[in-house]
Amino acid sequence: MFLLLEEIVKNYDGLRALNRVSLQVRKGTVKGLMGPNGAGKTTLFHLISGMERPDSGRIQFKGKEITGLRTHEIARIGVGRTFQTIQIFGNMTVVENVLTGMHLRIKGGLLSSGFYPPWIKRGEEEAMKEAKEILELFGLFGRWKWFASQLSYGEQKRLEMARALSARPELLLLDEPAAGLTYPEAKQVAETLSRLKETGLTLFLIEHHMGMVMEIADEVAVLNNGQLIAEGPPDVVKRDPRVIEAYLLKK
Amino acid sequence: MDLLYPLPQLLVSGITFGAIYALVGLGFVTIARASQIINFAQGEFVMLGGMITFFLFKGADLPYPLAGLLAVVIVVLIGFILHLLVIYPLRKASLPILLMATLGASLVLSSTSALFFGTLPKALPPFLGSGPFEIGKISISPQSLWVVGATFLVLLSLYLLSHRTFLGKAMEASSTDPLGADLSGIARDRMIFLAFGVSAGLGSLAGIFITPLFYVSYHSGILIGLKGFIAAVLGGWGKHSGAILGGFVLGVVESLSVAFIPSGYKDGVAFMILLLILYFRPKGILGSPFIDSRRW
Amino acid sequence: MVDQVHKEFRKRDLLYSVALWLLSLIIPDPQLHYRREYRFRKRDLFYLLSILLIPLVWSDLHFHHLMVLAGIHGILALGLTLFMGYAGQISLGHAAFFGIGAYTTAILTTRYGVPSFLAFWTSALTASFFAFLIGRPILKLKGYFLALATLGFGEIFLVLVRESSGLTGGVIGIFNIPFFSIAGFMFDTYLKQYYLIWGVLIGLVFFLKNLVRSKMGRAFLAVASSEDGASSVGIDVARIKLGAFVIGAAFAGLAGSLFASVMSTANPEIFSLNLSVLIVMMVILGGMGNLYGPIAAAIFLTFMIDGLSRYQEYSLPVYGVILILLLIFFPDGIGTRLRVRLIYLISYWGRKRRREKVEF
Repeated sequence: MFLLLEEIVKNYDGLRALNRVSLQVRKGTVKGLMGPNGAGKTTLFHLISGMERPDSGRIQFKGKEITGLRTHEIARIGVGRTFQTIQIFGNMTVVENVLTGMHLRIKGGLLSSGFYPPWIKRGEEEAMKEAKEILELFGLFGRWKWFASQLSYGEQKRLEMARALSARPELLLLDEPAAGLTYPEAKQVAETLSRLKETGLTLFLIEHHMGMVMEIADEVAVLNNGQLIAEGPPDVVKRDPRVIEAYLLKK
Repeated sequence: MDLLYPLPQLLVSGITFGAIYALVGLGFVTIARASQIINFAQGEFVMLGGMITFFLFKGADLPYPLAGLLAVVIVVLIGFILHLLVIYPLRKASLPILLMATLGASLVLSSTSALFFGTLPKALPPFLGSGPFEIGKISISPQSLWVVGATFLVLLSLYLLSHRTFLGKAMEASSTDPLGADLSGIARDRMIFLAFGVSAGLGSLAGIFITPLFYVSYHSGILIGLKGFIAAVLGGWGKHSGAILGGFVLGVVESLSVAFIPSGYKDGVAFMILLLILYFRPKGILGSPFIDSRRW
Repeated sequence: MVDQVHKEFRKRDLLYSVALWLLSLIIPDPQLHYRREYRFRKRDLFYLLSILLIPLVWSDLHFHHLMVLAGIHGILALGLTLFMGYAGQISLGHAAFFGIGAYTTAILTTRYGVPSFLAFWTSALTASFFAFLIGRPILKLKGYFLALATLGFGEIFLVLVRESSGLTGGVIGIFNIPFFSIAGFMFDTYLKQYYLIWGVLIGLVFFLKNLVRSKMGRAFLAVASSEDGASSVGIDVARIKLGAFVIGAAFAGLAGSLFASVMSTANPEIFSLNLSVLIVMMVILGGMGNLYGPIAAAIFLTFMIDGLSRYQEYSLPVYGVILILLLIFFPDGIGTRLRVRLIYLISYWGRKRRREKVEF
């Protein structure tokens, strides 16, 4: 099982954010995570990516226990992530954001980088080439020299995705990739995600956009008040009365 | 047995200093509650309280209580000026800039004080003319009682101010929810302005209380300011009760430490406590409503 | 007659404007460097040449002395700018590492006869070691608390130095530290010391320039911008912060060692909070996120302080006021958008002239 969550419990100051949630994601599939706001979706992502520790329960990735590991260690194992509030590096250029994504794959330590020996120089040049190619894929090549803070909202979201991908993760967690985007932009995102799926990447995404989830997800899990209330193929889950009730009540 | 002999005496002085630290710490908390700013010049208000009182009393021959009162007023005005000239222009500035600006202000105040009042340390006579009296083997100076008593009075008035009056609640609001406060019609900058005045007043009171026990000089400000800040963090950053508790704990621990380590290290004790508290429990003894990864 | 007055006025204006414009070419603009242009350009050559040639052209002894001091401050500022300007943290206790470096060199050379070249590197190592120890717990803090903790560390260091007279000479300090020497060549005049220190500084600039354009430089900026984003791509945030802190401390240690070897004394008063504040000011006034700015600011502040010292007891208050004013008017660094501001200033003059013309 590619990603496995078992009996995850998370409390915040007495509030139970996640109550014994168990779910799985199969390799090479796209899984959606849905639920009304406050249901605990982003919390779940925080737990998987190592930003928080569960109070009890286990998380396994590729058969290995990752509960309690720190975020950068989990990233090293092959889990990438985008954020609900875009966390790009506004103090760097667009291409540098992507280059930072490739951090783990570029050679160099603190001292050696200071001397910039030829092998580091070559590594940087190759990385730059690859970074520009990735930007091309996301339609950001023209702005590669711009500062990331100068991009529009939609472009920043694309940049964050490009950065996450440049780390060549095996599992990508996407937190509301279509939020705040216009209809054509959201469609573009959906297309990109389908293409990514075809390359073998496993996707786990939080998304409110019903349409997008229907199109690309193989399976959907629904949370409400920290509990898993439905799990299965999208058109089945869509019709589940508990799911409808959860959304109607919250809305 | 010999080691424990001076302890009760040290305890008394510890409580006295503790009250001072509590007052200084409250000054920090007041400004921080209104604006999320740490005013590193707080200690200078303490120093100026004592200095100006001395100047008015000995230099201008004003009666003691009047000198003290006038000194408080002057220092409050200085607090207002500090806000207008330094804090207000930098209201949108980033953290390191604000930090440096208050440190710069601290430098200006202490060096100007050296200019006006000279570099020699000054002392004031105790409030009540009589000498220390004895309880058992401990000698307590009435000044100490004054200090502790007056501190509690100040604390009480502060409590009433912030929780019972509209002004106080407005100041709280503008710190916890700036946007909301703005929308409710509270002028945030004016609140911060007032906060500076209140803190300056608190500081100057602390200065007047402590000068009879311990001399004041142009450079005493920075150290006492830092200790007051440490006290506030120790007790629970952002809470009035935290500053008070922290002040007394710091005062007592610092005082008692002299029995165990050479006295030259005494000032270092406060900083050791600071590092320990920041490492093990940054929220402080009573916890803090403020510590959140964004700003702090 | 009136026209003549106006013409003169215009010429003087033009002279000032041209002079200021030339100055703006020389003063490093943080925004320019910010644009991530790392190739060595003509401007860099200009800086290098002027640093190398100026003391030969201007041989005033006092000037040399000041430039030596400015160089030391420059090294300090460079170290701190990595930690503050790039990694986005704050340290108010940096003078402590300077002190550790100075005392290490002082003790090694006066008591154990260690050659100054060795003591130099040992000082850097000692300072790095302490930074490593202190950094691991402290760097978990952010914002004001980090500033306070570093300040606390600085003060503790000061107290320790003052009290352990056996080791450090207490309040008096250590005297008669031998001048820096390599293989018999002694750096005993200000001129020689100038080249020593600025040589070291130039070397350090090369090191930092390389570091900043490598993946480590990006890692620092990433951590400053978004710790969550940085860790999501595999950057060990704690290690990066510690790395910047330690490197900054190493630079400070080097600066301290040079200071001891040049001034021949080490005493606690030099490594106070005032110095820490000064270094932070240099970083801020130089503009966060660039390397030349803090060096220029170091030169500027060193000369300014020297200039103020003739006012004796007024120097400190004036210094404080100037600091506050600089912070209010140049929060992004003095060189930032200097050319834009100059253009604005010039256009203001232009408008003023036009108004005067109309009146006549």
